[in-house]
Amino acid sequence: MDMYAVRTLRSQPLRLALTIGGVSLCIVLMFFLLGVYRGVADGSVEYIRRNDADLWVLQKNASNILRGSSLVSAAQADALASVRGVRSVSPVLFLLSTLKKEGKVRTIFLTGYEPEKGLGGPPQLVQGRTVRADGEIVLDRSFALKFGFKPGDEVDLQDYRLRVVGISRGTNAFVIQYAFVTLHFARTLIGFPGLATCFLVKTDRATGLNEVRGRIRSELPGLEVYDHPEFLANNIREMKSGFLPLLYTVAAIGAVVLTAILSLLLSVNILERRKDFAILKTLGSPMAFLWGLVVKQAMLIASISNVAALLVFFPLVQVIERITPEVSVESSVVQILGVAAAVEAMSLVSSLVSIRRLRRIYFLEAFA
Amino acid sequence: MNGINFSVPVVRLDRVTKTFNGSGPPTTAVREVSFEVRPGEMVLLLGPSGSGKTTLLTLIAGLAQPTTGTIFLFGKSVEDYPAAALQRIRAERVGFIFQTFLLIDSLTAAENIEMVLRFTGKRRAERSRKTRELLQDLGIEYLAGRFPRTMSQGEKQRVAIARAAANDGALIIADEPTGSLETKQGFDIIRLLHRQAKAHNAAVIVASHDLRLKEFADRTLRLQDGTMANS
Repeated sequence: MDMYAVRTLRSQPLRLALTIGGVSLCIVLMFFLLGVYRGVADGSVEYIRRNDADLWVLQKNASNILRGSSLVSAAQADALASVRGVRSVSPVLFLLSTLKKEGKVRTIFLTGYEPEKGLGGPPQLVQGRTVRADGEIVLDRSFALKFGFKPGDEVDLQDYRLRVVGISRGTNAFVIQYAFVTLHFARTLIGFPGLATCFLVKTDRATGLNEVRGRIRSELPGLEVYDHPEFLANNIREMKSGFLPLLYTVAAIGAVVLTAILSLLLSVNILERRKDFAILKTLGSPMAFLWGLVVKQAMLIASISNVAALLVFFPLVQVIERITPEVSVESSVVQILGVAAAVEAMSLVSSLVSIRRLRRIYFLEAFA
Repeated sequence: MNGINFSVPVVRLDRVTKTFNGSGPPTTAVREVSFEVRPGEMVLLLGPSGSGKTTLLTLIAGLAQPTTGTIFLFGKSVEDYPAAALQRIRAERVGFIFQTFLLIDSLTAAENIEMVLRFTGKRRAERSRKTRELLQDLGIEYLAGRFPRTMSQGEKQRVAIARAAANDGALIIADEPTGSLETKQGFDIIRLLHRQAKAHNAAVIVASHDLRLKEFADRTLRLQDGTMANS
């Protein structure tokens, strides 16, 4: 690294520290938002991703469970079960409901399923067991952490008192968390005994999946059928079209702020050192050499800031997850390297913005 | 070493005039000036403050264009050099010394000298060797690792001379090189400059208002209100 580039930066330690602090915060913000994006993206569809159903059957024109409404009946379940190639049908009922504890009300995404059939329940249990009977509930881990629930606790759900029997993972959709009860209990809550949101279907291995789908479509025209990958894709698409673009927007704003901070520092440096630059120009420095100095300064700050951001980010995530367990931050090496590379690229952009000032430094300033 | 052609003047000015057109009325800083400087010659441009000495130096170095007249640098009109070629000439064949030394504060003496050598495209090892040689030659090896803020005025000017001589150029342009120095220091510096000129056959143009420097110059040219007077 060029000593002039380094020493010029070091000559104003407070300014350098503030700049690195500002740039690092922008990087932390980008790490965090992209981590939340991934956490939400994974968490929102984890329930579907880890479900063993071969086919998802919903009301006609419904394509997902995140932001769609679908109502199917017990009669349709019976008809579905009689379709050739269908081995089992598991109705699942999703409801928005509220839990009460010590006078406080919390919203949950209540999932009623038939435990004996093994489909539609929590994808992973981290504590306790799954529900076996009405009056039992499994809560999401982040929800339980946030509100202090543990197996054995009793919670009030509408007019019923339920016992927490298990804690699940992969059931945090960020804005809301899944909770699991028996299908019978969920139906009791809404007062419609035969109602479900969708059917999870297992098929006979001997019959092709597409063949079974075709039969369901032709025999039950009021229903929509999706295979697992298609239904997962539908839900991911729906989730991405929600608030997630906002995270990208805020991350992009962070990147712009970062570029602006760096450009400002580099420009101030050039203006403060314009006599130096005029001397160097007079002494025969090629413009490329002067540009190189500015680029090196930009990349040096970006690199130090990247390291500082990494040192801050992981402890910060731990603190955030402790305070707000529903905020799930998932970071990968690729994601972090991607952000770091983007920051280096942005530092290049900011140096290009600043470099324009070099053109307006004149030889004669060295003689002034 | 510095590509000197003894048959051609290093610098030749032919009726050079420079007029500045600012917001006020046009000001003519240099008017119809003609002279030449040959290799190994030390020429003193003598004149009071505001006589146009610095303007003349910047014109000679190709840092500004004359309004009329022609300046020949190494036998070729400055106007005929593309900007990149002029930059290379300044890097490889011209050395500059300024009144206030204008060393880069954030670099040590050695780094100040080495920086100029980078512009000539020399490799790191060669730059280091040349820098050491120059510091030794000027008796200032002890300043190698010191920053300008820790040096006396005389020491700074010695480093500035080393920097000007670093490229073994054919031309050294010095603008009031003794202006910020005490008399003895100033004379020492001008002797050093004279020695450098003779040792390397470099043409040296010194602009100064100090009449006492006349005894060190091979030739003295007087400037008064931008016009050359008889010396």
